Amino acid sequence: MNIAQRIRVEDPRRESPSVDPITLEIIRHQLVAIPNQIERNIERTAFSPLIYEYKDYAVGLVDPNGRLVAQSRGSLPIFVANALGTAVREGLSLLGPDGIQTGDVVITNTAAWLGQHLNNVVAYTPIATAHGLMGFFAVLVHWVDVGGAVPGSCLSSSTSDVWQEGIQLPTLKLIERGARRTELFRLIATNTRFPHLLMGDIEAQLAGCQTGHDMVQAVIARYGLDCVRDVIAALWQDSAASVGKLLNSAPQGTYRASSFLDDDGVRKDVRVPVEVTAHIRDGELTVDLSGLAPQVAGPFNAGRNGGAIAAARIACKYLLAPMTPVNEGDFTRLRVEVPDGTFLSAGPGAPIGQSGSTVPTVVDTILRALSDAFPERAAAAHHGIYGIHAFYGRAPATGELFQNLDTVTGGWGATATEDGPGPYRSSGHGDVPDIPSEMQEVFYPYRIEAKRLRPDSGGPGKQRGGLGVEKVYRVLHPCQIVVALDRTACPPWGLAGGGPGGTALVEVLRQSGEREALTKGERSLAAGDVVRVLSGGGGGYGPAHERPTDKVLMDVRLGLVTPQGALRDYGVALDGVGQVNLAETERVRREMRLKGPGG
Amino acid sequence: MPHSARYLIAADTGGTFTDLAVYDTQTYETRFGKTLTTYRDLIAGIIEGLEDAGGELSHGRLLKHGTTHVINAFIQRSGARVALVTTEGFRDVLEIGRGNRPVPFDLRYRREASLVPRDLCFEVPESIAADGSILRPLDTSAVKALAEQLQAAGVQAVAVSFLNAYRNPRHEKEAKDVLQDLLPGVFITTGTELSQEWSEYERASTAAANAYVGARMDAYIKAFETRLRERKFPGALYMMGSNGGVMASSHASSHPVALVESGPVGGCIGASAYARALGLDRLIAFDMGGTTAKCALVEHGRFEVQNTYYAGGYERGFPIRTPVLDIVEVGAGGGSIGWLDDNGRLRMGPHSAGSDPGPICFGRGGTEPTITDANVVLGRIGADSFMNGRLELDVQAAAEAIDRKLAMPLGFPGAQGVDRVAQGLIDLATVAMTAAIKEITIERGRDVRDYALFVFGGGGPLFGTQLARELGITNVIVPPHPGAFSSLGMLMAEARLDFARTFLQPVTESSLQSAARELTALEKEAVIAIGQDFDVSHLVFEHEAELRYRGQKHAVRVRLPAVLSIEAVIGAFEDAYRMRYGRVHPELTVDLFVLRVGALIAMPRPDLRQVSGVAASGEVPRTARRSVYFGAGEARMEVPIYRRRELPAGFEVRGPAIIEEYSATTALGPNDRMRVGDLGELRITCMPGAKSE
Repeated sequence: MNIAQRIRVEDPRRESPSVDPITLEIIRHQLVAIPNQIERNIERTAFSPLIYEYKDYAVGLVDPNGRLVAQSRGSLPIFVANALGTAVREGLSLLGPDGIQTGDVVITNTAAWLGQHLNNVVAYTPIATAHGLMGFFAVLVHWVDVGGAVPGSCLSSSTSDVWQEGIQLPTLKLIERGARRTELFRLIATNTRFPHLLMGDIEAQLAGCQTGHDMVQAVIARYGLDCVRDVIAALWQDSAASVGKLLNSAPQGTYRASSFLDDDGVRKDVRVPVEVTAHIRDGELTVDLSGLAPQVAGPFNAGRNGGAIAAARIACKYLLAPMTPVNEGDFTRLRVEVPDGTFLSAGPGAPIGQSGSTVPTVVDTILRALSDAFPERAAAAHHGIYGIHAFYGRAPATGELFQNLDTVTGGWGATATEDGPGPYRSSGHGDVPDIPSEMQEVFYPYRIEAKRLRPDSGGPGKQRGGLGVEKVYRVLHPCQIVVALDRTACPPWGLAGGGPGGTALVEVLRQSGEREALTKGERSLAAGDVVRVLSGGGGGYGPAHERPTDKVLMDVRLGLVTPQGALRDYGVALDGVGQVNLAETERVRREMRLKGPGG
Repeated sequence: MPHSARYLIAADTGGTFTDLAVYDTQTYETRFGKTLTTYRDLIAGIIEGLEDAGGELSHGRLLKHGTTHVINAFIQRSGARVALVTTEGFRDVLEIGRGNRPVPFDLRYRREASLVPRDLCFEVPESIAADGSILRPLDTSAVKALAEQLQAAGVQAVAVSFLNAYRNPRHEKEAKDVLQDLLPGVFITTGTELSQEWSEYERASTAAANAYVGARMDAYIKAFETRLRERKFPGALYMMGSNGGVMASSHASSHPVALVESGPVGGCIGASAYARALGLDRLIAFDMGGTTAKCALVEHGRFEVQNTYYAGGYERGFPIRTPVLDIVEVGAGGGSIGWLDDNGRLRMGPHSAGSDPGPICFGRGGTEPTITDANVVLGRIGADSFMNGRLELDVQAAAEAIDRKLAMPLGFPGAQGVDRVAQGLIDLATVAMTAAIKEITIERGRDVRDYALFVFGGGGPLFGTQLARELGITNVIVPPHPGAFSSLGMLMAEARLDFARTFLQPVTESSLQSAARELTALEKEAVIAIGQDFDVSHLVFEHEAELRYRGQKHAVRVRLPAVLSIEAVIGAFEDAYRMRYGRVHPELTVDLFVLRVGALIAMPRPDLRQVSGVAASGEVPRTARRSVYFGAGEARMEVPIYRRRELPAGFEVRGPAIIEEYSATTALGPNDRMRVGDLGELRITCMPGAKSE
């Protein structure tokens, strides 16, 4: 099957004269501020650290067709694909345009629609007025556990269908015309391993919907629905115009790039190719993802909306509109083509537990394809993975179940003018801080013995990539570790002749002296075992032998590059007292130049 | 203390101006002074300004000083060459930070560089477990060897911060002692001297920051004290801390990070003093100056305090663990510029014309229309009465620029168009400020309409009624001397030091006993620290704790009862918890997370009745009328203008009206009512409006 699916938003209608340009700005400010205010409320009231520490949520306002009007600034990038609007569209298709009433709060996590792991549950409520439906206020929250094979539901690397990953809630009215449906609350509480955390988070989520609804209603009451609609149209129009301007000024044509993922967690010897074609034509960007590998056996799939479209939109946002609040207009000029059945447009029933984790690689591949069209905006690849390493087990003192879901921070890619930044989490994450080692050591049965940068892991280049990180854990009581790493065979690439960054790895060192390298899987750990988690570096930009020797020397002094690395990667030879050996450096660099890029 | 030591003096050094307030304890007079902050010699500027305000240093009883010195050193990167000494394995604690990207879609996002370059970050062998037990003793010979390296590297200051030291600071102390012996003259600081709470990155960052500014701050304070002595100042110098209390200069020298937000807190202290005196349980302190607006909640006369401050901002700056009054800042001030974006949309800020060149109407070379220009064009600020006429404002130039740069391109022709667009700039600033105020109240689960709005700063009184209307607030209060309120507030400050410790035990009879012991230990620590400079016989302690349900990492901060019983502690927790979450969970275990002790000593301060500035009762002359534009009617009105110093207590007026004074202007919208209160405060009852004013 190879049906080209076109997802487009019609061009917003032209600004009408019913609202003057000053009032328009005032309403715009008020609308865009509401999701940020609700976000504060959710952070304050959520129970689970996944919400208030990890910020695994999205808060926003969508129009009656699910088109994004405004989303809170803390929402994770992975949700800009408009998970909120997709949920609403499912509800409209199932319940009909009149099926959702004032006072209803609908929830959904249906795999076939949202296409992201079942933990991502959207709740939304309609904003109805006497003059028609204004839209919906929606809050997505990562539910801490929705049942399934493993605690946390989404951590296994080896589920083979979605039913092993938890319960699905296909457009259910959790609140109907203001009345709570207690049997649904009971159903949810019964199907989670952490009912206290989850039910507390759900309260925060519901309160977010209601309060957001009330605040939007207050704006409508003051200015009228027509004005508010005009403002939304203008909002979209502005974003679309900015993106269009960039696309028109870029060299028109077709751009390609490819990469691959290590494996799908089940068939460990089969690589997962990512082929991207992008066309810039007439102020439009088409991202053709028909070159993605077919659906995989393990849980590294995603559905169309949560996968292919999310990846294309995230790339579009990073490249073309990074500094403005997200709305549907950012994507008006984006078309995504992808047939059914790829690993980012997987069919119903496909395992999707680790749905988001492949997206940063696909985003980077799209950005790589477009780097020739926007050389001044492009960056080399970042470390590119979530790099899940989750410890779980029973707390030795209380016997209670604990789980610490952690992801890696690694190097980001260099640009034409700057070394790569980092270490930061993946491009699918935003304002997601590490939990301090001191806090982890109190709550979990291990000690953290080191957390340091990995010298030489930044991709060599005229501009160097950011460095990866090494973390060393010493286990104090028996527990389990779940690991899901990727991109060990296709390292974070450089641009314009820059070299690749170092790759990620988890090593388990047993007390017996046995040493095992691990990329995906689960292991039992005994007291005294040591786990090393290594994250990747960012790619370099430009040939490494063009990096000024004083910068290389500074990197060596700072310990970011070893003397061996300086010679091998940059052709800079150092003498015994740490000064540059100019003659030898000149000789080595001449050889590197002759060998050409990548030499 | 000699009898002639009669003046209480506050000197608030800001980026542009130094504000001074002098209170005469014999005549009960308060005088104010303002001088340009003299960058080459800050101290000379203060001393000159004082003499202008009639404050003779030789009769000074005390001088409280707020300064932007510390934050400027961070922003301008003008501090010392600092080394960091950490636990083996954690050299990169500053480089790695916490891995978050607060600007999510920026491929080039990076945090500002750490204050300590990586080649000056050193590890030493030592290890302390999460329970405080020593796993590996500190290798003092390695520390000694390191001292030589530090000397060779020419470091001027050293920060020592070890993993889990919040549980057991012994190794940090040992390392500091060894280094201080071998490196005399080098400023050495440890993480746990500044914070005994967990989070290794935040503590290390705090230690590095303290070391970075330590030597300079110490020199500044010593120089200041020398100059004061030369001028025969018989009193004591106190520094304004970010926690809302002053501290002895010796404490400030060793803990300079505690001064990071030394400037803006004065207004909050003043607001809380008035809140107590006026019996206002809930108010929002709102301060609008030239480049930013700041707001903070004051409840029952107390302000909230944050434990972590980001120098350079949350998005790209670095954290400092020090108590800082919880003040939210918005990029909207009198100098904020109105402009059109690429899509031809009207925008306001965050760029500011500052005081140089300043707004167009100042006639000092400003070319971009600002909020102040809009206020002058609309008649809210009087062109010839600004600063008592000391600076005549060019209305025409302001109106022309608004016309040409904004109104014409937006399609608003003529004088009416200029008014409409000028009002638009005011409205946009109002929207930005109301959004910030809503966030701070929503974040705490409060309803903004339950608060009074307490406005000060040069711009606060101009915006008060409009903000209140937007927020659904009824009561607006303008204190006496709003333009100099920050230095006035500083005169009210008590001495205060804060101590905290991560505790981490469930609430049980026995843990409460050990909590009480910990609190006593913290009090002893406080007595030692504060007793060096103050008479501790009047020391008052405040006990606070952070508690949480087990499994929920968010903690709730409560004041602890005098006697720690399970019922009282859980009760206080549940009250605060219910406020935040709307419900409680009696079946869950409650953990005591962090213990806090605030040590306070009252200081001589002005009587608020004496600073009211009200006129004796009698006839109130209206100085004039002028044409003022109010958004509500989208029209101009002839509005009476009053001089505040001519208004007696009890005076009432109904808006529209303008009340002018030296450093601020208060705008009353149509139908707003105002009465002059007993303390000279303007109490305004705002009429709700369907539309923005």
